[in-house]
Formats: sequence, structure tokens, C-alpha cells
Amino acid sequence: MSDIAIDRTELQRLAELARLHLPADREAALLGQLQDIVSAFAAIRAIELPDPAEPAAGAGAAPTPLRPDEPEPALGPDQVLANAPQRAADSFVVPRVVDA
Amino acid sequence: MSPEPIDAATIAADVQSGRRTARAVAEASLARIATTEPAIHAFLGVTADRALAAADAIDDRRANGEPLGPLAGVPIAWKDNLVCAGEIATAGSRLLEPFRAPYSATVLERLEAAGAVLIGRTNLDEFGMGSTTENSAFGPTRNPVDPTLVPGGSSGGSAAAVAALDCPLAIGTDTGGSVRQPAAFCGVTGIKPTYGRVSRYGLIAYASSLDCVGAIARNAADLRLWLRAVEGPDPADATSLRRGEAKPETADVPRDDLTGLRVGLPWQLNGPGIDEEVSAAVRTAATELERLGATVEECSLAAVAHAVPTYYLVATAEASSNLARYDGVRYGQRRDGRRLEAMMAATRSHGFGHEVQLRVLLGTFALRAGYHEELYGRATRIRDLLRREFETAFASYDVLLSPTSPVPPFPLGSRLDDPLAMYLCDALTVPANLAGIPALSLPCGSTATGRPIGLQCMAAHGNDDALLRVGELFQRQTDHHRRTADLAGDVDGAVDGNPPEAPTA
Repeated sequence: MSDIAIDRTELQRLAELARLHLPADREAALLGQLQDIVSAFAAIRAIELPDPAEPAAGAGAAPTPLRPDEPEPALGPDQVLANAPQRAADSFVVPRVVDA
Repeated sequence: MSPEPIDAATIAADVQSGRRTARAVAEASLARIATTEPAIHAFLGVTADRALAAADAIDDRRANGEPLGPLAGVPIAWKDNLVCAGEIATAGSRLLEPFRAPYSATVLERLEAAGAVLIGRTNLDEFGMGSTTENSAFGPTRNPVDPTLVPGGSSGGSAAAVAALDCPLAIGTDTGGSVRQPAAFCGVTGIKPTYGRVSRYGLIAYASSLDCVGAIARNAADLRLWLRAVEGPDPADATSLRRGEAKPETADVPRDDLTGLRVGLPWQLNGPGIDEEVSAAVRTAATELERLGATVEECSLAAVAHAVPTYYLVATAEASSNLARYDGVRYGQRRDGRRLEAMMAATRSHGFGHEVQLRVLLGTFALRAGYHEELYGRATRIRDLLRREFETAFASYDVLLSPTSPVPPFPLGSRLDDPLAMYLCDALTVPANLAGIPALSLPCGSTATGRPIGLQCMAAHGNDDALLRVGELFQRQTDHHRRTADLAGDVDGAVDGNPPEAPTA
């Protein structure tokens, strides 16, 4: 069983995936805490589990019910956009996504 | 001078009979909040106008001879991760500011339909991530029993509001113990219902396979009143239980005593690592249940030994996905960034507190290619194992007992630097969330220094009513719940009224 460890490079990759920018003063604290937690939690890899073919499931024993696929009243554009940091007409405005 | 504690059932009966007006009750609650808030900081916003308008409408209905709901005139606070139409919602985070909700959570709609008077938004750990309410971006809540102590979390504001006699009922949410643990710390009663029993529509999600809406009151009878008003299927929440999936009033537990009730004490939840005074109080409570006719014996739940890593891997994995929506595009704050991804990273890094960032990073790691199967995948399989162990145990026992928390409430600021140690304190509450079963925390005594101790009772999936009946009978025969309410009642005189400082860590 290989070690599971988080180093600074891995932390930066995680931050990139999680869309977080970690300033240097915060990075050290987060790295130390993550290392402690992951090192403690990695113990679950050693637990013997019955029948690996059995599927995992969520908390509810009952399956999620289906409902008819019919249109229902929903929030209008003004309500949806009311909390937007920036809007134009019926759209959210975001910074540039692709180069011109 | 503290007011006399009045429970929700009494208020509703008095308003219905005309002995009190809903306005007088609402005004008394608002006045009490104004007195206790400087010392406790249970609230992030008090909705006085909404409350008084609702109270007047109830009084008008009565004057016109119209029927009143089962919670007529009862002031109820709600945890600020449930949205209420027209009101601000923060989830304890600066990131969402200045969000104002365009719709209401189903649980709040049903409460208002039942005549409840919504009195204010309570403080919480940011997005429900914490066990002390110290992770709120708006400063910590203090424990009304002793304002130098944490109130627990993440529903610490709700528990403190009830303990401080601000209101008889407050809504909380429980993903890993966030209703039960603060209820235990503040000497009040709290329930996490069966997963799906109460709609989560309008809940700002943390970990969707674990999140439950629960409530905190000064006794189990008021929690039954609450559950009756809000339970049931909701077309807006596909995970809400359909009729028939939750067991109605069960005949398994006798109405007047506990004769025949089979109580199990899983030794893994009652053994090493538990504070001695907490253990002693739980053993005494078990003896009290025996005196009421129950049979109590030790049993085993082996998989709970792995519950904390299992819970935190599942919960943070789900959180890393749920919190992806806070990207500065649709609501809340936005920090400048010339490109989209730079704006998102700047917004999230500035808006999320330390604990939220830690959990999002942990969840991202648990789902990371190469570790997914070994961490998240194994955690979901251990979760299934745990659920099956509970099912087996409930074939032999009606109720399983443990302390709610392995330790009594501790001083503010004393555990902020060690998140792993804080997570391990959740060991007794997270199993019920992983299994989706109902669990109740009842006051069962206090330490020599007066710190409250909570007794956790767990029942099989859908057996919320049986659980509440055990709580009601226990409280009919004991006075722990009344003694802790007395302790907290004088909070207005307990400190000098300076608002609490936010911790520096």
C-alpha cells in the first residue's frame, strides 16, 4: 500500500482544482493541517471490507422517486438575477473567458 | 431578572384560547433578544417587522373566529443557512453578502402556515462547517449557561437562542451532529430526524447525502409539535420521504412508561475517550430508563470506530462539489479578476473562511484521480457497513444510547488550532448521519462546574416518533431539562454586556 501524502505541489494542484488562490501566509497552515488529517484518515485503507462488488449507496434506503416531466412555475429572470454581482439585461456578466 | 420559561405548546394553547395575544408573545421574545444579544450573539438578524406582522395576522384571525394553526403565535428562530423569502441569508459566510432570498425553504413555509412567528436568523459556523460556531464570519456565539464556553455548533446560535429563553423553538440543521451537539452543550433538547423526513428545499447545502433539517427546544414534546408541522413529502425535494416510509405513531413504546423498551449501549460509543463525568451522567440516565421499565444492556457496533474518517471524507467530497457554485457569477461577492478563473479564485479565497477552504481542499483530495477509490470509495463502503450494523442492532434494540459529545462544552478559542482534534469530537454524532437514522439529544445532567451534558438516543430509520416518546417519558420523570434551562435563564446578568470578540485564529 503506497503512502498517501500531501506536499506543497499537491496542495497547489488541489487549490487550482478547487478554484482557490492560497496566499503564502495561509498555505503553510493549510498544508500542515491537511497532512495531519489525511495521515490519520488514510487508516481506512487498511480496514477489511466485505464483498467489494456490493454497490455503495446514499443514506436513504428508498430509491429517489421520479415525477412527471412537466413544466412548473419557477423564478423569473429578474428574481434569478437580483443577487448577481453584475448583470446586463437578462444575463450574468463575467470577465473575459476566451481571447479575442 | 430572567423570564419564566414557557414552552411552545403552552404558547400555542394560550394564543388559541385567547389567554395571550400573539403580539404580546412576539414583543416579549423581541425584548428578551434585545437583552441577551449583547452577551450571547445568537442572532445574525432579528426580523422584528416580519414577526410583528405575522403576530398581528394571527390575532386578527382569532378575532375573526378563524381557525389557528398548531404553532399559533410561537416565536421560532431559524439557522441562517435556510432561506426565507425577502430576508437576508448568509450561511455564516461573507461570501454570500448581500444575498436576499427570492423564495422560502419549505420548512419555514410550513412553519408560517402552522402559525409560527419567525423571529430571526441564528448564527452558525460558516456553511455549517464547525462544532463551536467560532467559524462564523460574523463572530462567535457564546453559551448562555456560561458565556466563557462555546455553545457548540454548527447550529450554536439556535441552541443558544433557546437556552437564553429568547424563543422556545429554533430550527437547526444537522450534517454530522450540528443540532444535537449544540443542544447538549447548551442544556436543551435537539432532534435530527430521519434523513428525508423534513424537506431540505431552501437549505444552503453542505453535504447533501447527510444534511438534515432538525430543531432545538427545551423539551421533546415541543419537538414533536414541530415535527408534526413540518414533516412530509415535498415535490421540491426529491429526497424527502414519501408517505408510508416514515413510521407513524408506533405501538412499540408504551405511552405511560417504558416497560418493554429495549435499550442498547454500544460499548464503542460509551468507552475510552469519553470524559468521566459525561460517562457517569449517561450511565445514570440509563439507570433512570431502567427504573422506568426499560431493559438496558451493552451491545457492539464495530464500524463506528471508523465513523469520523468516513464521515469527513464523504462530507468534504460532497462539500467540494456543493460549494463550487460560489464562484462570483450568480450571487454574493465578486473580487476583481481580469479572467474568469482568476475572478473565481479571488472571490472564493477572499469569501471563504479558513475552515471552509480546508474542507474544500480535503474533499477535492478525496475525489482526486488516484485517491478516489482508496479514500472516497472506501468511505462509502464503510458507510454501507455501518448502516447494516445499525439495522442488525435495531433488530434487538428499540433505542441505542451514548453521550451526545465525548466532552462537555469547552472555553472559546481553546481548540481552534487543531481541526483534527475537533473532528474527533464528532465521533458519537456522525454515525447517525451516515446511517440516515433519527437521533435525539436530551439534557441528562451537568459536570461539577455546571457544564451541561447531553444524552444521545438513536432509533431505527423512520422511528422518530418512538424516539420522541422516549424523550418525553424521560423528561416527564426527570428534571434535567428544567435545571439547565434555569441555569441559562439569568444570562442577561451573567456578563457585563460587552459584545463578544471574534477569535483571532
